Amino acid sequence: MFETSKSFLVIRICTILFIVIGIVLFLGSRHIGLVFLGAACVLWLIGEVLENGKKHLIEVLKSGFKTIRLPLAGIFLAFFIGGIFLLITGYQPLKSFGAMIYGGLVKNWHVSILNAVPLIFTALSITIAFKGGLFNIGAEGQYYVGTMAATWLGIRFDLPSLVAIPLIFIIAGGCGAAYNAIPAILKVKTGAHEVVTTMMFAYIARTISSLFIRFNGGDPTLSAHAYITDSISESTWLPTFKSFLPQANYRLHIGILIAVITALAVHHILHRTRLGFEIRAVGLNSFAARTQGIAVGRIILITMLLAGLLAAFAGVTQVLGLDHKMFENINAGYGWNGIAVALLAGTSSIAVVFCALFWGALDAGGQYMSRTLQTPTSIVEIVKGLILFLILARYLFRYFRRKA
Amino acid sequence: MRKLTVIFLLSIPAIALSGAGSKAVGTAVQERIIVGMATDANGLGDGSFNDGVYAGLKKAEDEGLIEIRLIEPASMTDYVPNLSGLAEDGAELIFAVGFLFYDALLEVAPNYPDTMFAGIDLFYDSPMPPSNVLGINWKEHESGYLAGVVAGLMTREYANRSDKLNDENVIGAVLGMDIPPVERYFVGFTEGAKSVNSDIEVLSVVTGTFTDQAKGKEATIALAEQGADIVIQFAGLTGMGIFTAAQEKNILVMGADVDQNHFAPEYTLTSAMKGTTQATYLTTLDFIDGNFKGGGNAVFGLAEDAVGLAPFHDFDFVVPSEVIDAVEQARSDIISGAVDIPQTRDDAGI
Amino acid sequence: MNVFIELLNAEFLIASVRLATPIILASIGATICDRSGIVNIGMEGMMLMGAFFAAWAAWKFANPWFGVLVGMLAGGLFALFHAWATVSLHLNHVVSGAVINILGFGITRYLLELFFGHPGTSEIIPHSLAEYRFAIPLLSRIPLLGPVLFNRTPIVYMMYVVVILFVWITRKTRLGLHIKAAGEHPIVLETLGISVKKIRYIAVILSGILCGLGGAYLSIENGNSFSEGMTAGRGFIALGANIAGGWTVVGSLIASFFFGMVDALALRIQVLGVFRVPSEIFLIFPYVAALLAVAGLVRKSRAPRALGEDFQIERSGT
Repeated sequence: MFETSKSFLVIRICTILFIVIGIVLFLGSRHIGLVFLGAACVLWLIGEVLENGKKHLIEVLKSGFKTIRLPLAGIFLAFFIGGIFLLITGYQPLKSFGAMIYGGLVKNWHVSILNAVPLIFTALSITIAFKGGLFNIGAEGQYYVGTMAATWLGIRFDLPSLVAIPLIFIIAGGCGAAYNAIPAILKVKTGAHEVVTTMMFAYIARTISSLFIRFNGGDPTLSAHAYITDSISESTWLPTFKSFLPQANYRLHIGILIAVITALAVHHILHRTRLGFEIRAVGLNSFAARTQGIAVGRIILITMLLAGLLAAFAGVTQVLGLDHKMFENINAGYGWNGIAVALLAGTSSIAVVFCALFWGALDAGGQYMSRTLQTPTSIVEIVKGLILFLILARYLFRYFRRKA
Repeated sequence: MRKLTVIFLLSIPAIALSGAGSKAVGTAVQERIIVGMATDANGLGDGSFNDGVYAGLKKAEDEGLIEIRLIEPASMTDYVPNLSGLAEDGAELIFAVGFLFYDALLEVAPNYPDTMFAGIDLFYDSPMPPSNVLGINWKEHESGYLAGVVAGLMTREYANRSDKLNDENVIGAVLGMDIPPVERYFVGFTEGAKSVNSDIEVLSVVTGTFTDQAKGKEATIALAEQGADIVIQFAGLTGMGIFTAAQEKNILVMGADVDQNHFAPEYTLTSAMKGTTQATYLTTLDFIDGNFKGGGNAVFGLAEDAVGLAPFHDFDFVVPSEVIDAVEQARSDIISGAVDIPQTRDDAGI
Repeated sequence: MNVFIELLNAEFLIASVRLATPIILASIGATICDRSGIVNIGMEGMMLMGAFFAAWAAWKFANPWFGVLVGMLAGGLFALFHAWATVSLHLNHVVSGAVINILGFGITRYLLELFFGHPGTSEIIPHSLAEYRFAIPLLSRIPLLGPVLFNRTPIVYMMYVVVILFVWITRKTRLGLHIKAAGEHPIVLETLGISVKKIRYIAVILSGILCGLGGAYLSIENGNSFSEGMTAGRGFIALGANIAGGWTVVGSLIASFFFGMVDALALRIQVLGVFRVPSEIFLIFPYVAALLAVAGLVRKSRAPRALGEDFQIERSGT
């Protein structure tokens, strides 16, 4: 008995180690990382068999297949309908979607990951609010506050990276939280609905951001690069994978690792701490929570602050990691896409990571498809909408089963 | 349920097969030069530079000279991968459209030294761009100036020539956002009006959007209520609203970028044009002939006949010959350098 | 101070009516939908669909009245999708609304290329509803209010009818009572033998028709063509107006009109050029106002009790 669990422990540690090495190598454009990931999968299977026996493993795989069956069918169906749309306009659906998959997962996979990083943060922000029974529709606004704070500090900071970067994360995150504190206080004190207040705050942040850019080097009447701020100082840039793995794509930065760690932290907070329990209790039933002696107002406030902090992190990673300056990113819609990702993930903070990667891959692949085959980009939007609908409408399949 | 599944599965090969008969993609003649075009986040249909550049390329494609590869980004983070992607796909000349490409172009161009890049509405002076990047600009202030001359004269001296003009010495402008081309247009327009009518009042509204027709309309009406009888738009799709506002308030309006007379022929005096299409076409021809030179900027103005005023159409008999003479005078003064038009509000002191 | 006196004239009020009309229509739609217990954040998408199809029909058949009809129909059909997803498929209401918005943007852009051959804008419609502007004989003589309210274009008048109709429906009719019950105590309603499902379907489709009408106003009455994203966030503002108005028809009307007024004011102050500040300052204006309105007015109001909650009855044997 003791023997088994000891070897099991060793295998588990090896698995985790392999996963980490595999991911880092893969992100550094070394495809041997995939071998490590494959090995990690095999090790996990062996570990499961050793610990719980074959029967249990089959059970686990079966239930895993069951949960993944409907989403897969949904994605398939969405592409199918999208294909019909393409066919009507005279494009080849198979070739187009082939290019989309190739572009998103193989050719431009680093773009998929770059797309996913801010989405993970905004989706986490929305997820934590959902858990607390709140709907943070204004993550976009907190994102802008985060970018503004990070840019402002980045331009002015002349500190070594190890001090500057964490400091910017803390201060900018704090700004995002403080910005969301106002809707939170309004909610607690006057009952003003957070959907409206955060949405209005998002609009306000967006408008302020163009003022901010104007006063930080992007004045359209003075500079050649209007609506783009000055660059932040190089010491505040997030390290890229290229700095320690030479083959890596030069744009890929460690923001993805920070995002994954944050997702794990959020999961931990929500499921392993007293605070997380209280947030979920308030989200499930605030009256019951109150009778349990939970200070509902305080929890709402904390939830909103955390949501603001996470959404601001999205902006910070984007500025420090990728853009190194701020511009008004028209059409990016990290807030809206974050909602889509959070909903796809079914408010599980771990699933958020995978769904954000999927969403990012759809965008990157869509761009690749459109570029190489000249397929209209609107088809990607339609497919995204359909995927969202078909995956979430779990009842859809039951509905048809009953009818047929 | 099973029946549905079967039908569903059966239809997949049907779709795959029928795809074979549809539009042939990627079977173009190999010898043609591939020219890439990366739009800014607004994409085609902005009624402004994106559409203009595309029309220029389309013209070259229709003549069998090139093959267009178009890409519209989902957001600004796509700019860099789109440019490098087009270069990797074998595009020999790439148009990056819009001033927001400023940094993206500087980042991508050094990685693809054999590919030429043309940045529309981009002006590089410090630092100078790499040798395969050409910034292409227009002197919007020059066409704005000419429109300003027309408006400045018509609103006071010749106000009796049309029932749509009033006695007040006021004209207006609807702006989308304070971006450099809009700024140049507006400053040129103001200076032009003041050059012939020194105490004229030029009002303006910034709507903050390039897509909201209704707001463009309200802005025009608000201008008209303050006495403006000629209103010009520099606001993309938002500017569509000025044509409906003109009908409602019975005033004259001016279009921008292209001849927009067809939107409301009875109310459109003229348009301040910017020859994006022509300049793109010429740049493409230059490239084919091997005359494309990077490392600097190409600026298209009146002297190159790349900006100017649209015909007056229905207003040919309304606009007196004195106004036409004044426009011609301004045109030759600008070309000869006798008139120097400021390009920003700070320079102009407004 | 003189500046503000100069601003507050009849023309300003007329501009407010023009800007408020689509918001009023959509926010009343939101009210009806929310009162039945279904959250509707998809109004932006529904308005876009309405605007697009109205412009298409008005162009295709050269008849704006046909455009109004088709626009309302398109909004209604799109709302039917929302109703089906939320009521029959038990999909999360916010999800369905988000899907509707994404699809609204995607489909209109796609169809624009398919029907008109180019993105961006549709063709100019031959006749817009603005041509049918008429003054109501006696009422338009009332000082100040007459020209502001009773010398307008058709959809504005339709909006008045809609307001009166829906005040009447919610206050006096059985249907209104049922809609409110569906949003407050659906189980009670169901035990009375009235199908919550049916009531919610009706409410959602009504809201879609109103959104479609609001969209049609933008494309074929206030404007004369469809352009991409022309609703410019009015669906979301309407959602705000509905909540600021405390989930009542009259409240929505007042809040929407207030938003229209703030919008008109922001443009007008700029024209006067009394404050020399960056233009963005004026653009923040409407949102700050909306925020203050929500924070100040919502104090006493309360959302429908079953808003956003799924309703499901398991019947045996079916």
